[in-house]
Amino acid sequence: MTLRRSLTIVALLIPGLGLILAMIGSVFYVAVMQSFGFFNLTGEDAFSLEHWHDVFDSRAYWRALRYSAYVAVISAVGSVILAYPLAIWLRRPFRGAGLVSGMLKAPYFVPGLVAAFLFLNVVAYHGVLNQFLMWIGVTDAPIRFQNDRNAIGLLFLQIWKNLPLALILLTGAVQSISDDVLDAARDLGAGRFDRFRKVIAPLTVSAMQAALVIIFIGAAGDFAFQVTVGPTNVQSMAQYMVFLKDSFGRWNQAAVVGVSLMALALVGSLTLAAVSRFVLKGGRW
Amino acid sequence: MAHDVPALQAHDIGKVFEDGFAALTGIDLSIHEGEFVTLLGPSGCGKTTLLKTFAGFHVPTSGRLDLGGRDITTAPPERRDMAMCFQSYALFPHLSVGDNIDFGPRQNRVPREQRLARLEKLLQQVDLEAHRDKLPNKLSGGQQQRVALARALAMRPSVVLFDEPLSNLDAKLRDQVRREIRNLQKEIGFTAIYVTHDQAEALSMSDRVVVMRGGRIDQIGAPEEVYQNPLTAFVADFIGAANILPFERGANGSVRTPLGDLDVSGRPPEDATYLVWRPEDAEPCTEGTPGALSAEVTERAYQGAYTELHVRVGTSPEQRLHLPHAATPGDGRITFRLPPERLRFVTGEIV
Repeated sequence: MTLRRSLTIVALLIPGLGLILAMIGSVFYVAVMQSFGFFNLTGEDAFSLEHWHDVFDSRAYWRALRYSAYVAVISAVGSVILAYPLAIWLRRPFRGAGLVSGMLKAPYFVPGLVAAFLFLNVVAYHGVLNQFLMWIGVTDAPIRFQNDRNAIGLLFLQIWKNLPLALILLTGAVQSISDDVLDAARDLGAGRFDRFRKVIAPLTVSAMQAALVIIFIGAAGDFAFQVTVGPTNVQSMAQYMVFLKDSFGRWNQAAVVGVSLMALALVGSLTLAAVSRFVLKGGRW
Repeated sequence: MAHDVPALQAHDIGKVFEDGFAALTGIDLSIHEGEFVTLLGPSGCGKTTLLKTFAGFHVPTSGRLDLGGRDITTAPPERRDMAMCFQSYALFPHLSVGDNIDFGPRQNRVPREQRLARLEKLLQQVDLEAHRDKLPNKLSGGQQQRVALARALAMRPSVVLFDEPLSNLDAKLRDQVRREIRNLQKEIGFTAIYVTHDQAEALSMSDRVVVMRGGRIDQIGAPEEVYQNPLTAFVADFIGAANILPFERGANGSVRTPLGDLDVSGRPPEDATYLVWRPEDAEPCTEGTPGALSAEVTERAYQGAYTELHVRVGTSPEQRLHLPHAATPGDGRITFRLPPERLRFVTGEIV
């Protein structure tokens, strides 16, 4: 490749890829440097591991890390598990398939905070769910569903919101498998579950990995759902980061949490993608 | 071949789709063990629907299907002792050649030693030993079809179903794979049901040919029988080239046709609607020979093994003649006769 050609390619990439890399790179650079004592808003800049020490010594940090990882994994895996049967169901056209598909994708277009407040109206102490349970006689008094300690409500919202994304990715992948290939598997003795495990899953693993990674990263960095419907006894990483910045103006420690969150997103999503590929390819890479 | 035991029996099979389209009507068919039967017909005649009904991908709306004496009418495909070779090959793209072939036996929990032995033998039989670890997309069309065949045979099924397996191959490869399939079928002795719209394929491979039209069977017979003695005008027209003429019953064992009065070897059946003769039935002769027809040659086409002539006898419709090159006339006229024993009567209408 000539120098002129190489320069042409670089010049063509700069407006798109260059901009993205510059934006992400600068944010990443500032966050990392701030976590090591640079870009201080007050005081002098100096390299220091003190902020990492302080954050690592905090129990709240580790709880937030575990909690965000838990929410991210369950949200990603839950969305994909629910999306697969729906994608297979919608694979063949039937009367009303378009309507069903549209309804399933609708949550994607509802802003997260709006969805969270709608959910609160349902599960609140005097919300629709409690009133219904009392009306049918299941309970005598309202139950506290809101901000539950195990984040069930938050996970429900995360999956409800992310299911359409997984569905969009998986539907395309599942539809690309020909009827003949699935018929052949059936003809060779594969039942419904084996057809999924041995044919559909391996052939759609890339779409599934994409869904897992995107949902994992989004859910790991969740702030809006957590502060609205999440448990009050634990903070998510994003919430903890904002807490450090807002409550004590500890920007450097907030940067440590931010860098940790990025690391969690990277390592967690790659691990999830690798494990799912290994499992769905029948123990082979 | 053991053609005595019926491997598959269809009793009055009918299939009406949800939109009301009747794809199959009154299919009665008995296929014997070790037999190679071809379902032949034009597009939309129901041959693939019938094959998929045998396979279990369609459940018939009426009738019964027996496999080895067992009623399998509503049994799902995975519970039938059959295997199918698809037109698109339908190989699993994520599995190697070896794993594709091993899919069925593994699915059916065949012991590992048996599976491996079966795999080795099949790879050898279809000449794909060197390609065992390759993915299907690294193989040619012919090789992929051989993998599909080996994958079906690995199941050791009672019946192997072929859905136009050669239609994606070029002419030369098609001929080669056709012979390979037939040789393997003879060698292993499996029962084969083969769908094609290619009459040459059907005639060259089959023990029996089932000619279908509009969801019904028009004729079942050995290739020679179907070709030489078509029962209907459709079969005569669809299989090979045929000259099909309307006729009226004449005196003294002759019939009146657009070519003139022709002597026939027997009385036309009551329900006969047309008189049929094949282009190669015409015998060149000299003027004055009893039954000689003098015709004007309107078109001449060299066909390699023979020459095809399009001729008119007086004002008759154009007729086709296949003659050896040496017997082809030099000028624009030809005299030929039609031996009475070569004239057949058929029923039904020309489609």
